[in-house]
Amino acid sequence: MRPTTCLTTVTLLLAAGAAHAQTAVHSPTRAHVETLASPKLEGRLAGSAGEKLAAEYLVKALQRMGAKPMPGQGDYRLPFSFTAGSKDAGSIITVQREGVPPRTFTTRAQVMALSYSDNGEVSGPVVFAGYGLVVPPSQNFSYDSYQGLDVKDKVVVVLRYFPEDADTQTRAAVARYSDLRYKAQAARQRGAKALVVVTGPRSPNAGNIVPMTFDTALAGSGLVATSANGDVAQAIFAAVPDKSLEAVQKALDSGNPHVAGFAVPGLTLTVKADVARERQTGHNVVGYFPASLDTARRGGSPGGVDKPWVVIGAHYDHLGRGATGSSLASKEQAGQIHHGADDNASGTSAVLAIAEALSKQPRRRNLAVAFWSGEELGLVGSNHFVTTPPVPIAEMAAYLNFDMVGRSTDNKLTVQATGTSPMWPKMLEQANVAAGFDLILQEDPYQPTDVSSFNQAGVASLAFFTGAHMDYHKPTDTAEKINYEDLDRIAAFATDITRRLLDLEQAPQFTKVEQKTEGGGRAGMRIFTGTIPDYATEVKGLLLGGVIGGGPAEQAGLQKGDVIVEIAGQSIANIYDYTYALELLKIGQPAKVVYVRGGERRETQLTPAARK
Amino acid sequence: MTMRLLVMFLVAGLTAASAFARFDDDGPRRGEPAAQSPAPAANQERDFLSRVRRLTVEGRRAGEGYWSPDGKRLVFQSERDPSNPFYQIYVLDFATGETTRISPGIGKTTCAFFRPGSDQILFASTHHDPKSKQLQDEELAFRASGKERRYAWDYDTEMEIYDYAEKTGAMTRLTNATGYDAEASYSPDGQWIAFSSMRDAYNRTLSAQEQKQLDTDPSYYGEIYLMKADGSEQRRLTTEPGYDGGPFFTHDGQRIVWRHFDEQGLIADIWTMKLDGTDKTQITDFKSMSWAPYEHPSGEYVLFASNKLGFENFEVFMVDKAGAKEPVRVTYSDGFDGLPVPSPDGKQIAFTSSRSGGGAGQIFLAQWNHENAMKALAAAGPRK
Repeated sequence: MRPTTCLTTVTLLLAAGAAHAQTAVHSPTRAHVETLASPKLEGRLAGSAGEKLAAEYLVKALQRMGAKPMPGQGDYRLPFSFTAGSKDAGSIITVQREGVPPRTFTTRAQVMALSYSDNGEVSGPVVFAGYGLVVPPSQNFSYDSYQGLDVKDKVVVVLRYFPEDADTQTRAAVARYSDLRYKAQAARQRGAKALVVVTGPRSPNAGNIVPMTFDTALAGSGLVATSANGDVAQAIFAAVPDKSLEAVQKALDSGNPHVAGFAVPGLTLTVKADVARERQTGHNVVGYFPASLDTARRGGSPGGVDKPWVVIGAHYDHLGRGATGSSLASKEQAGQIHHGADDNASGTSAVLAIAEALSKQPRRRNLAVAFWSGEELGLVGSNHFVTTPPVPIAEMAAYLNFDMVGRSTDNKLTVQATGTSPMWPKMLEQANVAAGFDLILQEDPYQPTDVSSFNQAGVASLAFFTGAHMDYHKPTDTAEKINYEDLDRIAAFATDITRRLLDLEQAPQFTKVEQKTEGGGRAGMRIFTGTIPDYATEVKGLLLGGVIGGGPAEQAGLQKGDVIVEIAGQSIANIYDYTYALELLKIGQPAKVVYVRGGERRETQLTPAARK
Repeated sequence: MTMRLLVMFLVAGLTAASAFARFDDDGPRRGEPAAQSPAPAANQERDFLSRVRRLTVEGRRAGEGYWSPDGKRLVFQSERDPSNPFYQIYVLDFATGETTRISPGIGKTTCAFFRPGSDQILFASTHHDPKSKQLQDEELAFRASGKERRYAWDYDTEMEIYDYAEKTGAMTRLTNATGYDAEASYSPDGQWIAFSSMRDAYNRTLSAQEQKQLDTDPSYYGEIYLMKADGSEQRRLTTEPGYDGGPFFTHDGQRIVWRHFDEQGLIADIWTMKLDGTDKTQITDFKSMSWAPYEHPSGEYVLFASNKLGFENFEVFMVDKAGAKEPVRVTYSDGFDGLPVPSPDGKQIAFTSSRSGGGAGQIFLAQWNHENAMKALAAAGPRK
């Protein structure tokens, strides 16, 4: 179905305040969303048949509008390869003790490689290094599990997580460095041959192996790294005279940095890690509309402007049937198609609508129209594009990103990455006079979407976003829940901004925004509270976009719209404070939560659970 | 009309201890019913406001948005010039989205207003002060140092009222008195200007106690004045101790609505009076800071802001023109909501709010539901 462009009509109607009249206007985005989010495309997982169908649809749309493949490219499809998944293909640990028959552990319940392990088999004497934590000296807090230990060419055994009973300050300092990637790095830097991670008997998920996460950022850890279950741990600690693992962990759990690890006498561990990684091919779909000839005559470069390219883009891939780690499907929903209507059929459709609206208009810059794949796997497609760009990055004047723009409520629209150019606030203010959104601006370009790739490449960028919701990364993110009226308004607003960028003499100046967060962050999170932060709205405190049914937050009586201002005595001013404060909570121990509802301060008790 | 916003923070800064002793509760004041309804804030605002949208984006802060008589433009103040850390005056054209600075760019300005039937726009400015550039540089250096202080309006004694002719760009100085002259607005026929002046502290010899008062809080000497649009026939309308400011004419041109502070500068209420200063009538009595009044074009009610619900939580309220009934709450948003100004057709409202985060205000627009407003005012109980 060919969508009609009625952007001008929509704008005029809005200006007249006749909001209800739009139902009579054909939506330029609706048919695209309904097609892309239909069951036939099976959730558009990168590399899948559904992705190929979606790419075909986008290629046809570009052809129909008259876009060309990028210069030097014969096709709109720009392939890239990526790791589609990893599984353990047979990791083994053998425990050899003098005078005792060796024991070999081979099942996946006993041994599992960490997803970023090197493949290989190594043998060596064993050093137990406590929690394997190293806090960098820059943090003004001294904690080094390796102090006094020689682990060179040895197999290091460490506990998962961090000291359970330590005081708040200690937990705050070490929590960020408890991510297993950091632990692997610390072991490798000290010359260890292998790392074996054990979940201690006093920790959540006690005695269990660490499930292999789907990890596409495959910077190898440079050593053999596995987790092992309680059976393996017991076999190892049987060689330790007079100490049980539980007693050892208890001593460490005080957080006293002087509780040391030790070499395990007379023990040799042979660790074989075998991770099978599946490579697949995904496709970005990119076309462009050249600067129009009449304006091109004005100067040397097309259109007589510096930086002759403007790029608009959205990822079109989603989660397929949710087999990967980022699905939030409930048990009942497991295996169902994740339609991704908002994430990101909405952004894809907005880009199609903008391209359609601008395809017939004169322009001084080339307009590149990009649809990324592999975003859900870690911005793989857009990263590939900016690292192997078909036209030089230095020629890109600006990038506009659209990811989850179909769920606007209360007239709100979040625009992120506004710190990437001093030009953005003025341009947004001018364009919004006609568009009339209740704009929320966020300077931070380090967002979990493709805008991040372009910011890293040094391109002035904006990202449009209408906020997280209860259907995020679930099979229930479906087409009929999209707010098409406002999606069309967003497309019209962004069309206006794109037109301004195409015609500007001087490209927006790029400004580098300093990254706010550091350290392990969420990867090390072991707490489950069941809160869904509203990332779109900036308030003092943490605004809840919702709570997970049956989770600790719901049980504590928290609900959508509440603003958490204090948790366990830590004041919360923003999402960073909240993430940080969560690291300090104890599983199963009620924490006081102070929150604001309807302007009124209230209190409740929230009992955190363990994150599986 | 000034810095209705900034006055608050000045007062808060100067007299924080006593202020918090009296306004320390965040929630409804004792003896009053608790929150009116558990519905989310946005839903409650929808009774009167729809399609709330942020208008100003550029710059640190913006406020004091006033409509042109034809409703097609808005004049406001904004800190958006990188070389000048103080407010300058801008006109935004709703048809084109373009914003133009009309003030000189030097020094401080505040409180602009379109003159009906003319191409003139008035505002207060200090650009004639030879120290202007130096003050700008000092403030920029202070900000660059990374230090922070509470925002405060300084009642610059150099502040004088000017009119600016859009066609010629000519500026005419209308006041010439030591002491802050600002917060001015035209009468509906464009012939008169009401304004606030602190000249009373400078045109006579002060006692030691009065001098001390001036040093700690000059706004105490703020009084309402009236003058012809050319600056002639300046006359004083108020005499009570305490800051009188923010005067606007009612739409029939018969009265002035303004806010009057008590002597301590902590409690303010909305008053109206005739143009000769008689028939002064107090129309609010919240025992908190109620200020920034502006009459709806229907002439039926006055919109204003108050921190009744928490010292730093200003909300927009409305009250019937006689002040016979209890005011009705309009906005439901943490932080600052204030300076409500309805459009000339009464169908929209411009207001200043910190709801977009970051603490500093920006100008917002919303559709205004006059019918619901009239219903709510009719249903309101008698004034407490």
